[in-house]
Parts: sequence; C-alpha cells; structure tokens
Amino acid sequence: MSGWCDLMVRLAASLVPYGRRRDWLREWRAELAFVSAQAARRGRAMPVRTLGRALGAFVHAAWLRWDQWRLEMIWQDLKHSLRALRRSPGFTFVTVLTLAIGIGGTTAIFGAVNAVLLRPLPYPEADRLMQVFSTTIKQPDRIGGSVSPSDFNDWRHDNTVFAELAAFNTGSYPITGNGPAEQVRAADVTGGFFTAIGTEAHLGRVITKADDAMGSRDVVVISHGLWARRFGSSPGVIGQQVLINGVSREVIGIMPAGFDYPLLTELWVPLQFSAKDFETQRGAHYINVVGRLTAGASIARARAEMRAIASRLAESFPRTNRDSSASVHPLRDALVGSVRQSMLVLLGAVGLVLLIVCVNVASLVMIRGVGRGRELAVRVAVGAGRASLFRGLLVESLVLGLAGGAAGLVLAYWATTAIAAMDVSIGVPLLNQTRIDGAVILFAFGIATAAAVLFGTMPAWQATSLGDVVTRIREEGGSTTSDPRRQRIRSVLIVAETTLAVVLLVGAGLLTRSFDRLLSVDLGLNGASVQTFSFSLPEARYAQAALRADFVETLLTRVAARPEVESAAAINGLPLTNYRYSISTSTRDGVRLADEEQDQLSVQVRLVTPQYFKALRVPLVLGRPFATSDRLGSEPVAILNQAAASRIWPGQNALGHAMTIGTRLGLGGAQAGGRVVGIAGDVHEFGPAARVPPTLYLAYAQWPDDSMTVVVRSRGEPAALVEPLRGLLRELDADVPMFRVRTMDQITAAAVAQPRLNLVLIATFAGTAMLLAALGLYGVLSYAVGQRTREIGIRLALGARRGEVLRMVMAQAGRLSLAGVIMGLAAAVLASRVIQAQLFEVAPTDVTTYAVVAIGLLLVALAASWIPARRAARIDPITALRHD
Amino acid sequence: MRRISITAVSVLQAIANGHEYGFDIIDQTGLPSGTVYPALSRLDRDGFVKSAWEDEAGAHAEGRPARRYYRLTAPGVRALAEAVSFYHALLPAKPRAARG
Repeated sequence: MSGWCDLMVRLAASLVPYGRRRDWLREWRAELAFVSAQAARRGRAMPVRTLGRALGAFVHAAWLRWDQWRLEMIWQDLKHSLRALRRSPGFTFVTVLTLAIGIGGTTAIFGAVNAVLLRPLPYPEADRLMQVFSTTIKQPDRIGGSVSPSDFNDWRHDNTVFAELAAFNTGSYPITGNGPAEQVRAADVTGGFFTAIGTEAHLGRVITKADDAMGSRDVVVISHGLWARRFGSSPGVIGQQVLINGVSREVIGIMPAGFDYPLLTELWVPLQFSAKDFETQRGAHYINVVGRLTAGASIARARAEMRAIASRLAESFPRTNRDSSASVHPLRDALVGSVRQSMLVLLGAVGLVLLIVCVNVASLVMIRGVGRGRELAVRVAVGAGRASLFRGLLVESLVLGLAGGAAGLVLAYWATTAIAAMDVSIGVPLLNQTRIDGAVILFAFGIATAAAVLFGTMPAWQATSLGDVVTRIREEGGSTTSDPRRQRIRSVLIVAETTLAVVLLVGAGLLTRSFDRLLSVDLGLNGASVQTFSFSLPEARYAQAALRADFVETLLTRVAARPEVESAAAINGLPLTNYRYSISTSTRDGVRLADEEQDQLSVQVRLVTPQYFKALRVPLVLGRPFATSDRLGSEPVAILNQAAASRIWPGQNALGHAMTIGTRLGLGGAQAGGRVVGIAGDVHEFGPAARVPPTLYLAYAQWPDDSMTVVVRSRGEPAALVEPLRGLLRELDADVPMFRVRTMDQITAAAVAQPRLNLVLIATFAGTAMLLAALGLYGVLSYAVGQRTREIGIRLALGARRGEVLRMVMAQAGRLSLAGVIMGLAAAVLASRVIQAQLFEVAPTDVTTYAVVAIGLLLVALAASWIPARRAARIDPITALRHD
Repeated sequence: MRRISITAVSVLQAIANGHEYGFDIIDQTGLPSGTVYPALSRLDRDGFVKSAWEDEAGAHAEGRPARRYYRLTAPGVRALAEAVSFYHALLPAKPRAARG
C-alpha cells in the first residue's frame, strides 16, 4: 500500500472512537492494500482515484466520532439533569406539581372537547351523516325543527343528494313479560334508518324497509346493553317474542355494543306510515330526519337542494308550509348544538391557566438558573460551550415537562373519569364518551413538550449568555446589585401572569353573578319535598280514554291516602324538564282565528289532575282549580297561566271566556279546550333563563293521556316515598313500570346544572390562576430581596428606616401587579364577549365584577409580597455587609 | 418504519446484488467512499446489515489481507423492498408496450 494512503488512514483513525479503532483500521487497510496490489500487478502507479478514496476515511472517521458523541451527549445531559433535579427536590416538586395542574386540567378538558366536538362519531363515514330540519324562511339555517311525515315523504322522493333519508321518533316504552316491567328509551325508525347510519346488527338483522310497511310483522331490535341486562346475552333471544308497550314483538336483531343512537336508545321499532298519513299529516311536525349524503354530494349542495324542495312545497301547500324552509347540518353539529361554544370557552380558560403555569415555571427555572451561577460558570471555565450549556438546560426543562406531563395525565385520568360519569341531565351530548385515548395522550405530551420548550428556552438562553456568566461569577463572589436585564424579564413575566389571571377572574366573576341571578329567579313553583315519577300505560290495553282516567284517579287516590303524603297529582310534562308541547290557538270565544293569529297565540298544553297546583304550590291568581267534577262528559274547562291570559285576552279578565286549540288530543271528537275557570301564576317551564311560555292547563280527566308524571308532596323525606309508590303502581298493574324517578329539587338543580358546571370549572381555573400568580410574585420578590440583601443592608446602615425598606419592596410588587391588573382588565373587556351568550342579566362589562377582581387581586398581590418585604425590612446590616 | 435514504438504498441494493465489501460497493454505486462508508456504518448501527471478517486463510491464498464483508439482515431485506417500491412509485409510469 502506498505510504501516502497509509498515513492518511492512520491520521483519520485518531478520530475514530477508541473501541472501534482497530477494526476500522483493519478494514480500510485491507481495501486500500488490495487496490494498490492490483495496480502494482498491472505495473501501474497507484491511481489518483484511490487517493481520493482514502480521503473518504476522514469523513467516515468523523461520522463515527460524531455518531458516538451524539448518543453520549444526550445520555450525559439526561444523567446530569436528573442529578441536578434530585439535588433540588423542592424546586423539582413545585415545578412538576405546577405543570401537572396545568397539563392535567388542560388535558381533561381537551378529553371532553375531543369526545364532544372532535372525535368522529362511531359510525362509518360519519362525516356524510346529516340531520335535516324543518325551519322557517326567517331562520332557514336553524339547528332544530321537527318534520312532518308528509314533508319527509316528499323530501325523500325529490332529493338527489342523500343516498338514504330516514325518519325517527324518540321516547320510551315499557318492556313487560320475561322479567320485571321496565321502561326503556326507545326509537321508532323508518326502514332506511340503519342503512343511513351505516351500522349492521351484532346478531340477527336490523330494521329494513320491508318492516316499515303498514301491516308487516311487529319486530324490535335491541341494544347490546339491554340484551345483556334483560336476556343474559343469550343468542337464543333472536326470534323470541317480547311485550313492548303492550304489543308482542319479535326480536330480530341485537346492535353492537356502544350503539345507542339516537341518544342512549335501547330498543328500535319500525315507524310505519300509511299512504293516508303522508297525505294528511303535513301540518303535524313530530319526526326527526337523518340522512347519509351520496358519495359526491357536498353539504352546500344538499342545503341548496333541500331548501329548493322546501320552497316548492311551500308553494304547493301554502296553508301548512307557507313560511317553511329546510336546513341540513352534520349529525355532530345537530347533536352538540349550543354546547360547542361553552366547551371552547372552557378549553380557552384552561389554556390560559396552562400559559400561567408556563410563565410561572419559566420564572422558577430562571431564578434557579441564576442560583446555579457558580455551577454554570465552572462548566464554562472548563470549556463547555454555550450550545452545550443551552442543550443541558433544555434537556432539564424537557425532563421536567415530561414528568409534569406524566403527572398531569394521572390527574387528567382521574378528572376524565369524573367527567364521563356526570349525569346526562347536564345536557352535554357525548360527554359520557370522554376518555383518555391516543389523541388525549398525544395532546398531553404535546403540550408538555411545548410547555417545556416555552419555559425552558428563554431562561436557558438567559442563563447561558456569555456576558452573563462573567457577571455571575462576580455575583457569586458577592456583587452588590442584581442584573437589571434579568430582573426586567422577570417583571414582564409577573405582569403577564397577573394579566392572564385577571382575565380568568373576570370571567369567573361574571359567571358567578350570572348564576346568582339565575338562582334568584322565582320559578313560580315550590318543589321542596316533592317526589316525582313517570309511568306509561300500554296503548294496547288502555285504548279507551275512560280506562286511562280511571287508572290515574285510582292511583292518585291510593297515593294520597298514605299518611306521609300531603297531596298527589299528575301532569303530562313537568316544568323544568324541557317538555315541549306547543299547539296553536284555534278559536277564541267561539270565533275562529286567522291562520297567522293562530300561530302567534300558540300555547304550551299541560294536562293536569285537580291537586296539581296545590302539590307544586303554583298559586291560583283567579278562579278555581280543576275539580273532581270536571270529568269526561262534563263541560270542558281550562286554566290559563297569566302569560297566556294576557296574550289571548289582553286587557280583559279571561275568566269565563272560552277557547279551543288546534288538536283533538288524539281522541277524535271535539277540539281540545274549554271555558276558562282559573288563572294560575306563571311557571318558568323551560328554566330560569327562558321566558315564561303562555300555558294552557286542561283537566286530565277530560283529556286522559297515556304517559303521565306523578308529583307527590310529602310531609317528610320525599325519597322515602319511592318504594311505597312503586308498590302501589305494581298493585294496580304489574306491567306498568315506574321510571324517571326524581325529586323536584333534583329536577330544579338539573335545570341549572350546565351553567353550574361551567361556573365551577371556570371558577376553579380562575382560583388556580390567582394562586399561581401570587406564588409567582412571591417567588420573584423573594429572589429579588435575596439578591439585594447587601444593597438593603447598606441602605439600613446609612440610616434608612425599616418602614421605608418595607414600602420599597411592597411598592415594587404593587407596581408590577397594578400594571398586570390594568392590562388584564383591558383584555377582559375583549375576552368576556365570548361568554356573553352564557350570561344571564349581567353585562360582559359589569363594573362591579371588574372592580372586585381588580381590588381583590391587588390585595392578594400585596399579601404575597408581605413576607419577602418583611424579610427585607429585618435584614441585619452587619450580617449583610459581612458577606464581603 | 423509518424511510431510508437513496444512498442507503443504493448500498443495500449493491450488497443484495452480491457486492459485499466496501470498495466493491463503491465501484457499483459510483458513490464516493466518504458517502458509502458512513452509510454502511449507519446501516450496521440500525441493524439493516451485519458484517463479518473474511477467513484469513482464503484471503492469503489470494495474496491480500482479509476483508470485511457485509450482508443484509432480515430487517434490511424488508427495508430495501419497501424503499424500492416507494421510490419506484415516484417514477413516471412507463408507456405500455404495444402488443404484436
């Protein structure tokens, strides 16, 4: 081998990591020796090409060195940072805990947002699933609006954008026979329903178009949960007959686990329409429509087409469809609706907390970086470059961030379990699906890493800037002043976190005031000590009105006979349960109203028994309650609430007047209505924030319905009544199960559960934010006082009074906090707009809230600065000066 | 699996074609030694190739020092196949040959 080549390879070998050097040299020498031997055999000089190849040995050697070094360095940095963190357990604990709170909170809320807003619905190609609503030309894009069977039929035939369009109705049915009677959430669905959703049966088959034809066999599909609970997961249940709502139906299929559309449904039965229904039911809006878009169709096209069909129908059927339109919304939007905004507000709020956490940790890391001045200075002195110091500190931040992320995930796991277990009555759909999944874990570690980089980079840069290192060596040697630049950055951090805390506190304050107003609304009833439950009479056996009336009368008489019962009554739909049954007023004092006026004078219809007003303490303003003499065959009577009376007979006493509404209540015969015998107080049927709807009460005995809710006012603990009441119901008819068993207090609480949850969460975030801001301020001031010990000592030695020192430190805190508060108030004015929709009778710029937050936060800031200020004032000048 | 570079594919392909020592691979791929050797080391580190010393006696019989030979491992074979089909898909489709 040529001497040159050998020299080059030997030189390059010195770069190769020692452990690999021998093999490396052997390989290169062997290759070069062979090439030069070949050249020698051919009697040629060594080609230049071979020399070029030998140069590649340097590149190879350098690469090996770099590769080894890279692995070692990261490992080294990791080991070093773990050791460093172990050396200051207090700092590590506080930092990881702070991060865990921020990351845990953000992750938990993200988990909920992911379940409700982001994760695809569990159906194939769920983005093509749409819900179609019947709307008005005034609000054509509204989400919500039930559809009439006739419109549905025309939509289905005329559209070209939906591969399948299906109708469904939700409710609940009693299952009887094979086990105790049980009321189960149910859906009546047309044949295309399961095709539209795209879900197949787990066992057996789903309902198809052959099942929704009039006169086809009575069948039922049940949920996986119901199958397990009631039939012990036996596959033999397929083909069995089950009594549902008094009708014997053959079980044809079991849905896969987790399928519960629409909303927690446990059984599905065919929804059948006759040709006559499609002809006559154009004005009856009571079904929901869901569809699957064809592969190429866009939402925009679907909207345009459905609107065009609706306007054609409006022309053809002006009496019923005059102002009608149609809207198409993705199924998720239709499900989630108004909750979207409050979820995003929560995510924003918890994001602010996370920012504060980062700011706080940044200042902690920074203070620590300064405290480690000597260590860093020594590392620089022994030749560590700025890049390596920077990398070391960054790795340390990453370790902290990941530890915080892991601890946060534990917190989040606990919190998401709590969120998923929340009552459905809160009204946040899909919330029960909240869980820690891949997306959530990715999110947690994503923000942990981002947070680490965010809080790690700036202080790491600061701590490693070379000029700084020199200053620090001096500082550690006992310099008199702290670095003003670093102090300034810390001040900016304090101002920033105060600003963020103020924004959150203002939000929490506004929500608190709003909630307070909500709770102070007089609902118009008194639900204390009232137990309620619902029951539903099987249609088949209670087809006659008299049977239903008798059943309810007997039940209520027996309930009222119990000594602990003060009064007992029944109603078709309880207040505060979002029960809506609105019917237009048809005639007033025997005169038929114009079409437009009929709609304007729509009333909520409630069928009640005589004791209803007494049981719920709804005052009767005028006239009398219903009496037992108001029964089938006697003169129809009505009671109006004040809102209805003043709308239908403005400026007059409605007593003695008569009205009818646009329905026969499904009984044939006369239109429902009667002579007004009483005026009842207004009840907030739809919750404290909603306006009182005009309400018409009819005597149940005159219009007996089959699904009723019983209200029982107890002399003692209402819940103690549940079992005796269940027994009474079973005695009367064992096939009539009791369901929706709740006290009126629970119902009232559920009506404000969503704003309460929002408030609790935002207030928790705001409280955390304030605490973190106070801790941050305390930390920075403590450090500043520590740094200025000598300076303060000199001041004291020169005759400054302790009070002056105290004031000086407190003034520094005051200045920073005041700047933060002012900026925070300005930011809050902008930010509070996003919660405007959630506020009830409180302006987003409510001055009281802003003032209380500002003063409160300043007081907290002063309290946080008191300890460091007092420490400064107690500095002993002799000790302070002896440091030199 | 992490996608491997064109250089690594060339090196793996050369080994797969039976060119199993450093300078032979360099000749085959036409890549400079400063590229091929680090690529070999990286592939070795990542487990796509493994290396072994040639039998001394055999080498001496041919009048040269023993060489270091490289072989593809099972993951190396898989990675090569995946990478080839990936890079192949990037090429423009060949015009179809007209039939007889």
